Order: sequence, then C-alpha cells, then structure tokens
Amino acid sequence: MLKRKRWIFAMLAILPTLAIFAYVRMYPIADTLRLSLHKWDILSKKKPFIGLANFQELMGDRLFQEALLNTTIIAFGVLIITIPLAMVIAALIFHRTRSRFAGFYETSVFIPHVVSLVPAAMAWKWIFDARLGPLNAFLGLFGIQPQAWLFDPVLSVVCVIVLCSWQALGYAVLIYIVGFKSLPVSLYEAAKLDGASGPQSFWYLSIPMLKPITLYVSVVTLVSGFNVYAQAFVLASDAQGAPGRQVRVLVLDMLENSFRNYRVGYAASEAVVLLAIVLVLTLVQFTLLRERGARS
Amino acid sequence: MTTTAVDTRTNTLKRGMTTAALLGTVLGAGFFAGLSAASAQTITVWSGYPEMAPFYEHVAEGLKATHPDLNVKVEAIALREHEKRIALGLTSGSAGPLVIELAGSTASRYIENELLPAAPDDISAFVKDPANFGEFFVDAVSHDGTVYGMPLFRGQGSLFYNTDMFAAAGLTEPPKTMEEYTEYAQKLTQRDANGNPTVSGWSMRLSGGGQGIAEKFWVNLFQYGGNVLVQTADGKWKADYANEAGRKALKQYLDNVFVAKTVTPEMPADAEAFERGQTAMFIRESWVIGDIAAKAPDLHYATAPLPTGSIALPTNLYVSAEGDDAKAAWDFAQATNSPENLVWLLENVGWLPNRSGVDYSVVTDKVPAFGAFVDYPEGYGFFTLPAIGPIEEVLTRLAAQLTSAFGNASLAGDDAAIDAYLKAAADETNQILAREDLLGQ
Repeated sequence: MLKRKRWIFAMLAILPTLAIFAYVRMYPIADTLRLSLHKWDILSKKKPFIGLANFQELMGDRLFQEALLNTTIIAFGVLIITIPLAMVIAALIFHRTRSRFAGFYETSVFIPHVVSLVPAAMAWKWIFDARLGPLNAFLGLFGIQPQAWLFDPVLSVVCVIVLCSWQALGYAVLIYIVGFKSLPVSLYEAAKLDGASGPQSFWYLSIPMLKPITLYVSVVTLVSGFNVYAQAFVLASDAQGAPGRQVRVLVLDMLENSFRNYRVGYAASEAVVLLAIVLVLTLVQFTLLRERGARS
Repeated sequence: MTTTAVDTRTNTLKRGMTTAALLGTVLGAGFFAGLSAASAQTITVWSGYPEMAPFYEHVAEGLKATHPDLNVKVEAIALREHEKRIALGLTSGSAGPLVIELAGSTASRYIENELLPAAPDDISAFVKDPANFGEFFVDAVSHDGTVYGMPLFRGQGSLFYNTDMFAAAGLTEPPKTMEEYTEYAQKLTQRDANGNPTVSGWSMRLSGGGQGIAEKFWVNLFQYGGNVLVQTADGKWKADYANEAGRKALKQYLDNVFVAKTVTPEMPADAEAFERGQTAMFIRESWVIGDIAAKAPDLHYATAPLPTGSIALPTNLYVSAEGDDAKAAWDFAQATNSPENLVWLLENVGWLPNRSGVDYSVVTDKVPAFGAFVDYPEGYGFFTLPAIGPIEEVLTRLAAQLTSAFGNASLAGDDAAIDAYLKAAADETNQILAREDLLGQ
C-alpha cells in the first residue's frame, strides 16, 4: 500500500515536468510530422491533406538535394576535424595541467564556443575576404594566388566547415579534459613501467578509455553540424556590397520555404528528413562505439 | 525627558513624515503617469528598409500636432527578415496595431487570406483620386477593385556612373544600348600589373542570396525585350526567358565575368563599392542618391535612364489594427503622403514617392541625379512583379540558378549551353506555376 502511494506520489511529482516536456518537445515534433503531410502556406486557414506528395517533390528538388549534400559534408567535415583535434588538444592541456598557463590554455580554446556567433562569423568573413582578407595575404607570402573563398562552390563549404569547427572545438576539448581527468592514473603508471611512450599510452590507453566521451562529443557535434544555419547565412548573406556565395544548407532551405515561399508543409517534410537522418546517424554512432567499447 | 530627547523625537517624526510625503508623491506620480500612459495610443511601423526609419520618425513628429497622445514606434530591419516578421506576426495576431510597409506583389497573399483589412472609405477615396495617384499605383494597392493600402514609394532603376572614371576613360556620355554597356565596362575596368581587375567597369549582381539577383537579371533582360514572367491570354503566367532575350542577357553577364573580365564575383559590389570608387557604374534604385549624400558626399557621379525601361516596384503601407488604433494607423499612413513629407522623403532618403501633383522640383532641381528617374525618354517602359502567390519562390529559385551560372565558366561563349541552362531554369519556373495552377498556355 505504502509502495503504491509512493509510486503515485512520484508520478504526480514528475507529471508537471513530463507535461512541459511533452508540450515543448514532443508536440512540436508530432505537429511537424503532421504538417509534412499537408499543404499549408502559413497564412491560410485551410491545410489540405496531400499524403506523401511533399516527400515525393523533395526527391526531385534540386535545391533540397544541394542543401542535403552541403549539410552532410559540413556535418561530417566538422566531426572529422573536431574530434581528433579536440582529443589531441585536450591531451596536451591535460599533460600541462600543472603549468601556470593551464587556465589560459583552457580558456583560449573555450572562448570561441561562448563568443556570440554573428560577430565571430563577421570576423571570419573578413578573414576569408578575397581581396582584403588576411588569409589570402598570408598565402600570398608563399606565392599562392588569392582564392575566392566565399564564392567558389567548394571553398565556400570549406569556409563553413572551418568556422563551425572553430566554434565546436572549445566545447569538445572541455569535455575531453574532464574525460582525461577521470582516467585512472595507475594504468598510465603501469604502462610506463612496461616501457610505453607518451604517444603509445595516448593511442592504446587514452583513446579506448575515452570512447564514452567520444560517443557523447561526436553525437553532439554531428547533430549541431546538421543544424548548421547561422554560420552559412552570415558568411554569405545577401548584404549588399559584401559578396559571398550562399552555401545552401537544410535549415536555410527550410526557412526559405517556410517564410519566403510560404510552403510550411513542404518545409516540415524537410524537417522530418533531417530528423530521420540525425536519428539514424545517432543510432549508428551508439551502436558502433558501444559495441567496440564493450569488446575493448 | 530632556529637551534634547524631545527634539530628537520631533526630528525623527518630521523625517518620517517627509519620507511618507515623498513616497506618496512618487507613488502618486507613478499612478498618474500610468493613467497617462494607459490613455496614450501606440502604433508600430514595420519597415523592411532601415534607411526609411528617419522618414517615419519625421512623419510621427509632424503628426504630434493633431495626435498629441499617439506614440509611434518605428522598427525598420533588413527586407528579408522583415518579410519573415510579417508572416509570423500577422498570422499569430500578437503584434499589436501595425502600419506595415509591403510590396503590392507580396501583400496579395495576406489580403486573400483576410489578414489585412480594406482601407476605410476616406483613405480609399484619397487613393482613387486620379489627382493623387496614377492607375498603376492604385492597382498596386487594390485587390478585386477594393483599396487595401496607401501607396508610398517605388523602386525604379537607373544607371549610376562615376563621372571622374568616365572622363579618365575618355567617355563623355552614358551608354545607350546594352552592347555599349559591355564596351564601356571594358574601357572603365582598372587592372593591376597582372591584368586582374581592381576596379570593376560595371558592377553586376553576381552573388549573395535571395531574389535580388533575379530581379537585377530581369532588369537587364527587359532591355533585350524579355521578361521573367509574362501573362498569357487566359490570365495566367509563364516563363519568358528561355529565348533570344534571355540568352543575350545571360551571355552579357558571362562575357563580362569570364571573357572581358570587367567584374568578378568576389569584387566589392553594389552601392558600397560605387561609393568607395571600387566600381565605375551600376544599375540601382534612387535610394542610392540619399546613400551617397550621406556616405560619400564628395563622389562625382551622374545618373542615366536605362536603354529601354526599368522595374517599378511599388511599396505601400497597410494597416493591421482595429477600432481607434486602426484610425490612428490610417491617419499615420495618410500623413506619410502629405506633400511636405514626400518632399522630405525624396530629399533625405531618396526613394521615389508615388503621389502625383506634388511639386518635387525643389529637390530634383537641387539634385540633378534624380533627373534620370523622373525625366525619362518617351516610350520608356516599366515592369513590375506580378501579384501572384509564388512570385518569391519563382525569383528565389531563378536566383539560385543564375548564381550557379555566373560561376560556370564553361557556359561563356557557348550559346547552346546557355540555352539549355535557361530552358532548365524556365522549366522549373513553369513547374512552380503549374503546381499553383497558375501556368498559362
């Protein structure tokens, strides 16, 4: 009887939180799924049901395909750059924990993560500027011809990857440092006694033992990579006099379809595709890293 | 009890009373201020052109004489964000009493969905009075014959050219044909020792996002006799740029970028480049005159009409409010069209007012650059964006196609490839029209 009362009390206590979670998290997802099956222009009271027509149209939509490809390249590009780099930087910082500059190292790496995105992106826009940017000036010292960073179809995507990685790195490093601090020192001491060098300890001990951290950081990085928007928007926005090639990414395409083309149902179908991709990739990451983590 | 103790108590009592009196005064003032604030009316003006903010503030200041309790908040942001704000604000109905600046072509969606009310009778009569507005502007604020807005200004293009650079290149007059535009651009381009352009001869809109690229292309296309969309006999629409005019227009862009190399996508562009002496000429609306006056007053430049005609994109004011707020909002909208305010708009901002019967000569005489916008040759044509639902989508998708083409060197000089490119783009345009049941035969 007491157990049952406790259970009821626990449920009642958790109910408000669950209700809020359901309203602000689950309802929008469910409504997006519903909208993706309708034609709606955001202004009309009518929302005719059109089944999977939006998804069918998506398959042949050149701009959606371009956005999907760009977003995928950016998300995986950021992941590939951020994870190894963050792990190495975190190892170096952890190795120098007793240094009086340790705080400075951590702060300087983390600052890009907390800096407001728009001014940061504006600064990068200047760095990448084909005529006045310091990047081309620097490359010029080595005899490399100036590059149209923000206009070339490939380079403009690279620019977005660099900006996103620069931002994501600080957070990843911070989490890895926490991970390093939780690793048992005795294992490293034993490895040292067995004659393992620093890099060998890093490769054979740190990396396998940090797999749960790597799983978390890679999921967060990949998901935020697929949600890239502001970086692409600011780097190549349609500000007059500031040329730049608009790197079409999924979120930008959704916003354009929703509020410029007044096709909310169609944009919702893009959101569903994005949700499905992120879910599948997250599941794959969990499966790969957990299984291998268990074996190791 | 000693005298000192009594004095102390008296002083304490006095201080307490003084404090209470002060507190009462402050609370009372706050109460009355609250009452006063409650009785004041507030309307918000949403604009998509930041340079228009001083104009609306000027109008609000002038309106204080007849509406002392009217508080006008002006919120002017970039056009694309403004469009999103309207879509969300009007549908949620949470934005309060609004005066909204909107192109007639975009407003039609909101009117069809009953999100913008018809103008009251006195405003409608003012707008329909031929002494105030020409038929073109009345149509731009009307839907099925009913007036829904107040015409205000229009975007109309002309050529801006740097007279110092023209003189240095031995050019004495502006180009008169599109062929001359390219010839002039070649003569005006300044290059470094390696032959790379450092100052573009003709700044063309080659990059960025949004439909602006397609609108600029349409302006050039129009000079060759083409249009992005044309109305068919059945009242519907179809793409009209996969043809000779389209080929000539796109070829001109490609020739300038890849063959003559008078401009490159990464070069500074538009009004900012012109004001900094980084381009010799470009086509833009009249607001640039006000922008130059503010940012580059020493620039030597002139304007000229385009070879055959221009875009004329009317921007109007609409009201989203009820009762007394609506009355105040419409009063504000009408005040923008007072002759004094329109002359102020032309002189200080540079956008062209739409109202006729107003003496603008005080400004046009003083600033000769306005001449090209008001004194154009006979037979000079105008086009505007059709008031159809998918116009933004048509132009945004065409802009994406064009941006891609402007970066494709293999298209330059290959007429067949250009034709194929235009056909693919036109097919996409027609698909959008067909989806919305707007494709004409």
